Amino acid sequence: MQDKEQRMSAALVRIFENVLLTEELSLSQGYFSDLSIAEMHTLTAIGPYEAKTMTNTAAILGITTGTLTVAIDRLVKKGYVERRRDDKDRRVVRISLTRNGKLACRMHGKFHRVLARRILEAYDNDEQEMLLGLVDEVDKYMASSVSKYEDKNNTESIRKTAAAVAKDKRRRKEDG
Amino acid sequence: MGDGSDSKRREKITEDVIALLKESMNISPVDLKASTNLVEELAIDSMQLYEFVVDLEEAYNIRLPDELLEQIVTVDDIVDLVVRLTSE
Repeated sequence: MQDKEQRMSAALVRIFENVLLTEELSLSQGYFSDLSIAEMHTLTAIGPYEAKTMTNTAAILGITTGTLTVAIDRLVKKGYVERRRDDKDRRVVRISLTRNGKLACRMHGKFHRVLARRILEAYDNDEQEMLLGLVDEVDKYMASSVSKYEDKNNTESIRKTAAAVAKDKRRRKEDG
Repeated sequence: MGDGSDSKRREKITEDVIALLKESMNISPVDLKASTNLVEELAIDSMQLYEFVVDLEEAYNIRLPDELLEQIVTVDDIVDLVVRLTSE
């Protein structure tokens, strides 16, 4: 069991690192090498269609509007994003992608689709469904793990998690 | 009567598509026909395709997600798609 846990743990870390590394390399060698991964993800959060508010985009990215403002300043300078005041409510700032921003966003979307296609094409239809089902389960588990830490005010939940980790560690020590 | 205006509309869309493709690909419109195969004859790459798609979306106020783009082979396929999306 321990060997399986180690394999799973190592694979998760490697997948996470290699996906990021592949994204970074493809970006640095492609048409949009002046963009960082974080900037590309900001463009993706804004999306190629209707203009978004700063608050909305910051929420999608899980960052503060202050941090987003700095990122948007840079993207405006680089020519990927444009800012304008909302026609109905002048207090609201809306951000949207320029033509170049849309191109970058769509090219990056294609990168992710091709990556997924290359992984899936090695399997037949039933195997693909099985693989997707298992990946979904891992995804759901990780999302629930994150949600335990997300509410910073909920110290009770963090304490429970810490207690669970400690208990698990103790159990493994006793077992092994 | 309806058929006449439909075919005129289709003709106009075909002209627009060819003009936009010409701009994105920097080729002569004379070389482009409704049956032209984008990948095999024009050797269009992803960047050129997206340049064209972004302009087409803007011109017709439509959305062309990748799932729809994957069905496109010829100029006529693009025209079909624009006709369908602008009729919805």
